Amino acid sequence: MSRPTTRALNASLKRWPGWLLLVAVVVVALAIGATRSSGPMTDGDRIDSIAQRLACPTCDGESVYESQASAARGIKQQIKRFVEEGTSTDGQIIQYIQTQFGTKTLLVPNASGFDALVWALPAFALVVSIAGLTVAFRRWKLASDTVPTDDDRAMVAAALALEGELEQADGS
Amino acid sequence: MPDSVSDPAPEPEVLADGAAPSPRRVAPFVVAAIAVVIAGLFWILIGANTSESDTADSPLLGRPAPVVKTTTLDGQPFDLQRRKGSWVVLNFFNSTCVPCVQEHGELAKFAQEQSQLGDGAEFYTVVWDDNRGAVEKFFADNGGSWPVLTDDDASISVAFGVAKVPETWVIDPYGVVVYRLISGTTDDQLTRLITQAKAGS
Amino acid sequence: MYAVQLAAGINGTLGRSVLLIGLVCATFGALATVYGIRTNDERLLRSTRRYAWGVAAAGVGAFLVMERALIQRDWSLKYVQQVGSADTPFLFNVTAIWSALEGSILLWLVVLVGYTAVIAHRFRRRLSDPLVAWALVVMFVVCMFFFVLTLGPADAFTAGALGVTSGPGPNPLLQNHILVLFHPPILYLGYVGMTVPFAFAIAALITGRVGERWLSETRRFALFAWGFLTVGIILGGWWSYEVLGWSGVWGWDPVENASLLPWLTGTAYIHSVLVQERRGMLRVWNLTLLVSTFALTILGTFLTRSGVIKSVHAFSNGSIGPYLLGFFGLIMVVSLGLIAWRGDRLRSPGAIDSPLSREGAFLANNVLFTVFAFVVLLGTVFPLIVEALQNRTIKVGAPYFERLSIPFGITLLFLMAVAPVLPWRKASAELLRDRLFWPAWGGALAIIVPLVFGAHGLAPLLAFGLGGFAAGAALRQLVLATRRQGWRGLVGRANGGMIVHIGVIVVAVALVASTSYTHSSRLILEIGKPATYGGHTFELVEVQSFTTARSNGIKAPIRIDGGKAYAPAITKFTNFGTNIPTPSVRSGVLNDIYLTLESGAKAGATSAPVKVFIKPLIIWLWIGGALMVFGTLLSAFPGRRRRLPTQPTSAPVPLDDDPDPDNPDGPDNDTTRETVDA
Repeated sequence: MSRPTTRALNASLKRWPGWLLLVAVVVVALAIGATRSSGPMTDGDRIDSIAQRLACPTCDGESVYESQASAARGIKQQIKRFVEEGTSTDGQIIQYIQTQFGTKTLLVPNASGFDALVWALPAFALVVSIAGLTVAFRRWKLASDTVPTDDDRAMVAAALALEGELEQADGS
Repeated sequence: MPDSVSDPAPEPEVLADGAAPSPRRVAPFVVAAIAVVIAGLFWILIGANTSESDTADSPLLGRPAPVVKTTTLDGQPFDLQRRKGSWVVLNFFNSTCVPCVQEHGELAKFAQEQSQLGDGAEFYTVVWDDNRGAVEKFFADNGGSWPVLTDDDASISVAFGVAKVPETWVIDPYGVVVYRLISGTTDDQLTRLITQAKAGS
Repeated sequence: MYAVQLAAGINGTLGRSVLLIGLVCATFGALATVYGIRTNDERLLRSTRRYAWGVAAAGVGAFLVMERALIQRDWSLKYVQQVGSADTPFLFNVTAIWSALEGSILLWLVVLVGYTAVIAHRFRRRLSDPLVAWALVVMFVVCMFFFVLTLGPADAFTAGALGVTSGPGPNPLLQNHILVLFHPPILYLGYVGMTVPFAFAIAALITGRVGERWLSETRRFALFAWGFLTVGIILGGWWSYEVLGWSGVWGWDPVENASLLPWLTGTAYIHSVLVQERRGMLRVWNLTLLVSTFALTILGTFLTRSGVIKSVHAFSNGSIGPYLLGFFGLIMVVSLGLIAWRGDRLRSPGAIDSPLSREGAFLANNVLFTVFAFVVLLGTVFPLIVEALQNRTIKVGAPYFERLSIPFGITLLFLMAVAPVLPWRKASAELLRDRLFWPAWGGALAIIVPLVFGAHGLAPLLAFGLGGFAAGAALRQLVLATRRQGWRGLVGRANGGMIVHIGVIVVAVALVASTSYTHSSRLILEIGKPATYGGHTFELVEVQSFTTARSNGIKAPIRIDGGKAYAPAITKFTNFGTNIPTPSVRSGVLNDIYLTLESGAKAGATSAPVKVFIKPLIIWLWIGGALMVFGTLLSAFPGRRRRLPTQPTSAPVPLDDDPDPDNPDGPDNDTTRETVDA
């Protein structure tokens, strides 16, 4: 195939039908993937996932899942008993351990009371920074209509003067 | 070195601002906000506690004790439910834990004294993550003839929320948990607490 | 006995005196430089190089003295009593120096003085330039602080108790893998390297030369430090995977967060600095990022080394906390003060015209990275806040960080896909439609292929798709650049940066796959009876005990798929008494099989409890890391024609020989032919 033909083909592929097809393929693929079952969760997986959400009460920063400490092993055995009984939900099991050992065993802070701040502040920070960006773009839009000031001209002149010097330094 | 920019001759900023129709400056407010946040962080960090304190708080205090159904080292069945009517002291223990070893003499004294009283407390050791051989050897070497409860599946220690040994729990004749003592205890302390509790109830 | 005592005295005294000399050198260096700048004394300024050599010699000397003491097993030193042991093998005895607080501060010092000397050497002809001189002053002051630490609260040369002739050796976890040799020094090269751009930032603020020039001077230092920090973090993950036995690479532990925080702000910086170089904008912002990066290294060290936050990695808490906190406060006050003072000069000319431009993408990138850094910092210190205000103990652990990092990761991947095709100043919809078409199909492919392999779940597939999209965009730029310039198209900041991007994508995909699709099970294996799990057979060969001079334990060789046997073990180091599970891993291109021996295994038994993890794509974490290093190296080399930082720029115009007519090459490219705005 000669080059112009490739180019033309490439250009025609990139028109909206190509993009529409792409969107369709991605949506279908994601839908298949999202609805596909992950297979039955084994007791072992469930025990692990619960243990990963609990902090070992005697360790420094390890979860029950990672830790080999006695208390963590004990808690793991308790989780195993609950899971094998099959009558409690994950939340109930975690609640039980939390009641026995205190809130320091929770790795995920509660979303209520003061602790909710740990969830709210990130969202707040994101909102503030996006708002800041929006304001900045608006101001830039205003500013870009203006002519360069004397100050700006002086800056450019100074920068250009530096340039020669930099080359000198680099060459040395 | 000749350098046209290095020598900062402060220029009045008003000129620049006056020339450009720029909106009001927000930067000082942003800097101030950041400074306040950092100062707050600083204040918290200065006050931060470098030592973690364990608390003897437990949701079990004042409530019925959890189920304790197990066997002793000698193979006798044990059920806490059936001990109602007498004061019960449970001591969680591990033969490699230093404070456990240290308090052993005191506990032996306490158990001895209580067994001589008519309505003395029953004293039990609960093995906390240790193997039987080591525990048996420890009791053979260091004395102590009270029953030792096994807890191979850690169900007792988890039910009581025991994260570290030694820990001592006092349960009243109605099966209600009245005290939790973390780290080592003494004969005096235990005796005093139980006498107080008896007087109070 | 007497001879031993004497030798000991020698090491302790020698170490301390060398450190004292270093402190004196750093102090005099700082004072002399400031005096030289004030009086404009060129000769004096040229001589400051000697102080830098003195500082460097002292720092390296102290480190070597400590190594000598460790190798000699000089029991007179408290530090050797703490981390030394008569039977530690040579390698781990050498690495024992950074296995506790005092020695790790020595390591910090040695890296810091190294950087100071490198600056003094690199700029030896321009030491009388106030910018360089002030940067050296900052380096000297930071050196002074660390010399004070090593002489005061983190004194490694304290005499130990008399009569001690043995020690426990380093923590067992720090003496069973070769990565202990590489991870800490490499991490510190990055962590401490952030001091250099910081020093130049402060110098630029003091001299008022806040133009772009100091950027080009430190660009490579920043890139170098960032590269090492990246490798250090990845090696840390590798170490955790190979040693800790829970099969994870990243636990969001406070110490890990402390290394991630400067990485996040540093990554933001190496992107936004491009906007400043190109357009002269975002000066305050870039200075803030550099200051934050350095301040976060100190704050992170404070958090994890003072004992206020508990961590598996934390060392014993000494009295170092107040010093680090005070230094952190000093940095903040000085930097914020300088930025406020120089505010007028920092006002940058120019404007960003459109959010849909290269600059706009970098700004979005910066918002994401800084907010993410804020989240990580918040999660790390939140327990302290709760304790201070409410006197309760809570924990913020991995699940919190994981949950919050997913949206950030996904958005960043998306930006990585779009940003490289965006031109500076302004992009049009047609241009995006045209340039993003094939990368977007790459993304579609990256969803379909895993789907065929049985992948499930929306979030992982979305991550794969965006990863493919981003990789497509990076490859597109590389293809265009190499078509035009041959292999040279791979060199330079923009194109080397694209290789770094591909490395990041590989790491991201591997992380997502290995966390989402790991299977694990606890198997009771019996000798001679192969068990099947996850499509592999596992056959226990035997359960044997082993003894070395330092440890004893049991291991269980397990034959995988009838082939080679892998032997997970549980080791008890005699001096410590705790059981250390040692995993055994069969690495593969698609899957790792990760075996750990569970407690309850007994030597000589016919069966053993074993935990099997099947973890996909783990090896790609390390490959991606290697790609990132490779790309960083390539971006450190300048392109053929070096762009001067002050040269006016514009969006590139189409090239005649470009295969895509309305698709000029990837924009920010050092070697691109470009027209100059009239």
